[in-house]
Amino acid sequence: MIARAGAGPRALPGWVWRWGALLAALALWEAAGQATAGRFLIAGPSEIADYLWTNAGLVGRALAVTLQAATAGFLLGNLAAMALACVALLVPRMAWLISALALLVFCLPLVATGPILRVLYGAGTGPQITLAALAVYYTTYLPLLVGLRAAPASWFDLVHTYGQGRMAELLRIRIHAAVPYLVSGLQIAAPAAFLGAMVGEFTGAERGMGVLTIRAIGALDVPGTWALATVASGVSIMSYLALGALGRRLGTHPRDLLLAPPQATRRPPAARRALGRLGRAVGLIIVVLLLWQGLMEGFGLNPFFAKRPADVWAFLVTVPEAAANRALLLGAFAQTMVLAVPGYLAGLALGAMLAAGVVLVPGLGAAVLPVAIALRSVPIVTTAPLLVLALGRGATGTITIVAVMIFFPTLVACLTGLRQTPGQVMDLFATYAAPRRQRLLLAQVPAMLPAFFAAARMAVPAALLAATTAEWLATGIGMGSLMALTASTSSYAMLWAAIVLLASTAMLAYAGVELLERRVLRVYASEQRQP
Amino acid sequence: MPLITTSRRRFLALGAAGLSASAFGLRAAQAQSAVALQLSWLHSVQFGGSYIAQSKGYWRDLGLEVALNPGGPNAPVEPPVVSGQALVGISAADYTAAAVANGAPFRIIGVAMQKNPFAIASLPGNPVNSPADLVGKKIGMALANTPVLQALCTLNGVDITQIEIVPTQYDAAPLVSGQVDCLLCWQTDLPVAMTMQGVDNMTMLMADHGYALHSQTYIATTDALANRRADLVALMKGEIMGWQDYEADTAAAAQLTVDMFPDAGLDLATQVLQAERQAPLMFSDLTRANGFGWFTDETVAANIETLALLGRSVTPDLWDRSLLEEAHAA
Amino acid sequence: MLPDALPPPDVCCLGLAKTFGSGPTATEALRPLDLTFAAGQTTALLGPSGCGKSTLLRLVAGLEAPSAGHVTIGGNSPAQVCARAGLAMAFQDASLLPWRTVRGNIALALTLARQPADPALVERLIALVGLDGFGDRRPAELSGGMRQRVAIARCLAAEPRLLLLDEPFGAVDELTRLRLNFDLPRLWEKRGTTTILVTHSVTEAVLLSDRVLVFSPRPASVVADIAVSLPRPRNRDVMATPAFRDLVDQASAALWAGSLAGPLAAE
Repeated sequence: MIARAGAGPRALPGWVWRWGALLAALALWEAAGQATAGRFLIAGPSEIADYLWTNAGLVGRALAVTLQAATAGFLLGNLAAMALACVALLVPRMAWLISALALLVFCLPLVATGPILRVLYGAGTGPQITLAALAVYYTTYLPLLVGLRAAPASWFDLVHTYGQGRMAELLRIRIHAAVPYLVSGLQIAAPAAFLGAMVGEFTGAERGMGVLTIRAIGALDVPGTWALATVASGVSIMSYLALGALGRRLGTHPRDLLLAPPQATRRPPAARRALGRLGRAVGLIIVVLLLWQGLMEGFGLNPFFAKRPADVWAFLVTVPEAAANRALLLGAFAQTMVLAVPGYLAGLALGAMLAAGVVLVPGLGAAVLPVAIALRSVPIVTTAPLLVLALGRGATGTITIVAVMIFFPTLVACLTGLRQTPGQVMDLFATYAAPRRQRLLLAQVPAMLPAFFAAARMAVPAALLAATTAEWLATGIGMGSLMALTASTSSYAMLWAAIVLLASTAMLAYAGVELLERRVLRVYASEQRQP
Repeated sequence: MPLITTSRRRFLALGAAGLSASAFGLRAAQAQSAVALQLSWLHSVQFGGSYIAQSKGYWRDLGLEVALNPGGPNAPVEPPVVSGQALVGISAADYTAAAVANGAPFRIIGVAMQKNPFAIASLPGNPVNSPADLVGKKIGMALANTPVLQALCTLNGVDITQIEIVPTQYDAAPLVSGQVDCLLCWQTDLPVAMTMQGVDNMTMLMADHGYALHSQTYIATTDALANRRADLVALMKGEIMGWQDYEADTAAAAQLTVDMFPDAGLDLATQVLQAERQAPLMFSDLTRANGFGWFTDETVAANIETLALLGRSVTPDLWDRSLLEEAHAA
Repeated sequence: MLPDALPPPDVCCLGLAKTFGSGPTATEALRPLDLTFAAGQTTALLGPSGCGKSTLLRLVAGLEAPSAGHVTIGGNSPAQVCARAGLAMAFQDASLLPWRTVRGNIALALTLARQPADPALVERLIALVGLDGFGDRRPAELSGGMRQRVAIARCLAAEPRLLLLDEPFGAVDELTRLRLNFDLPRLWEKRGTTTILVTHSVTEAVLLSDRVLVFSPRPASVVADIAVSLPRPRNRDVMATPAFRDLVDQASAALWAGSLAGPLAAE
């Protein structure tokens, strides 16, 4: 048993770790709450329980409202993702454009989309549902697209030998092959939908968890704030686990998020590649500008707040104050990036290192994973103010928020990646009785890279979202604050300029990570990349 | 073909007869007109007068069906008013001036808060009683409000560079936990929250130190002023009646608010205190003489001066009192 | 090449058995088995797919813990031998690390065996397996046969005294396989390494070994123990001899008879 040394003599059973860690965390939490009593920082489990007991009806009703909107958004967003993925598959020439547009819409800051949705929908739960749908569709679309393509070529040959075409491919093979990927996408989507619904309530809602959260923070109601955050994370964790269980009942082992590298394509010569990339970038910009202008005209949105491309151009380039406008925008952008980039890197590093730790110290996983899921599931709109409160308004708070937002998906992806190391390679190391550290460094970490890069790609929009949300709700600097500020100064041209800048940044960073990923994976996952 | 037409006519006639016999009779006097009032924040007693107008049927009697749309942290008031989704919005003179500068065709048609609610909140151990006390202090505020502090300093001859600004969002915790010495906030929210949490605190109302800026103003577009005058007058009339009731019994207004919005997480004691603290900002000798929401050329001139300090240059015709005059006259 | 100071070990299996799982779903992979592999000999384990011969090999390598009985290698436990890099195993697919070059993959064995880096040795091994000029290539750029040669070179790098070959040529085409069968054994024959080879090719078993153990279908038991005393080096000429054909026939017959005795016969 030297190979899969799961249980050495000193290793405790998993449940001891799990419950021990849980109890220790609760005790630590309670102690922190007691120690900081009177400072309005932390509410311990006992205070939270007390609040929930007293306000059970209120919180229950709010939860029902938000859950309803989140569920509707979850369903709609995932249906949209499935439709998009099918279109991308059936019209392969359009796939890159659909993917790029899907990413772009996913990168739009909530601060900007919220008010527009409210104007479009009027009173009601329209914006909540839409924001929930927007929060989930991309994380489903991407793995689904991978899953739809993840079938051996011979299966398609089989379909073709019977004279069937793309439709039969889709119905008979691809949909079935995609189920595990879909399930893992849905798992990630569930907490995101809840967050989207809560943020949707910020656009003006009568009731719901988001409404109560704003109220609790404003009223210095620390137990309330913590209780609401706890309930929200509880819901997220349960939906995460429930979807995982559903996946297992469907007989699939969820493919943890986005393990597949970017689509392997035949590599044309470098010059043509660069030209092709340039062409696509130009094409994408044209399509986006047309859609932007067209949608605003189509919905008849008032140019006072729904700025068109030409307005943004004027604001940044042609009006007399253009230079000042640019300076303000770029100043805020710099403030944000100074925090978002370290947070992003810290989150990735933390995720990868924790994954390594889990491999080195079996049992740690049982302790770490529930905490990680919990941390990730707490909606950022409630964590951001709490973390800033706890860590101060300096850089640490925001960096921590960004890191917390992205470390969990990274951890999960890296763990899967580590487990993806071919069994025979691990056997090879075992026959030399190689120590665990050596196995990790020489075999598992390199094998983990595809998963790591997939996580790094997806973390780009998440990092920007986290940084701007923290700025908006807690620290009051940077792009998040600048965008929120536009509401009080009606400088919607600035808001749209900020949206353009943030979305472009996210797209470029994503493309940059993808480029790096292709380079690295050409070496480290050459087998995965065989078409 | 003719057969169908006949039967359809008959059906319609029957239907109309049925209607006029029942519901139509009640509503015949005035067709109900549906409008929306866009509030500037979540439901609370801040808008207590409107809830009274709603629950007592003041608007219904005036032939108006008013939807009270709540605001929130990501719900600016101006877009729904500009796009016509809301007939009237609750804004503030500085917000409105900024919107007008950005091309929104707004007029201020009424002023709910005669005194601006901005205040400096501090703790008794380290109090800020006058603008001069700000020197050497750390103040927590949204950076967006820097012009507000700048205006206060200019009005009172205080050097703003002597004050350390710490960016915070709307939350009293930084003051309570000692991260800052004072907060720039509204008289009616964070100080109320602190009091309710048992944190002794004091406030210095900026309006008492020269900061003259209408708040909780009613705004409408010039288009609405031209084309939906009757609805606007009716809406303001209901508001006036509602807020008169509010002044008479703020505790009842607080109770009504809590009853009307059981899911909003409102605490009655907090609402009662907020309602009390809000009243002196809304009701003054001016309103007692002329009625709720009133403004004069003098108060407008003072506002224009403060707005100039905030970097906004506006003319008196941003304010339009004609609707208010009609509403009070009728 | 380093002088092989220690003599090759013998391998003893005593009452060795392996059951996967427990309760009603338990699968008996290996019935209690007593076997001895003589030091310095090459023994082929021949049997139908899934009969448990690979399990036996993995038990010897210490990759699985036996359900009963034990394995000793020169008197030591597999774990002790592994810790001293005393054995090396080759797998059915070459199991090269895709991110390492040919050179890097071979050098890996030295790293894992806690031996000092020895570029000259690596180069010699590359030449020995006929991959001159391919040292900087990555596995994805090699053919299946070339990958297997790299895997064998890696096995030899740390000078193991026990070689465990688990269908090392199972994934390559017939011609390549034959060539590997001719070429590669020379690399370890000279050193007298104890070798255990798992295969389901009768020809390969006879061609490579000094002794062929034929297994029945699962749970495995030895149905024939055939000594192979053909001259070395073995090449196409040897294959053409009546003695070779005779041994092949003998092993085939045992394989067939064993399969009739197994569960298939009951159906």
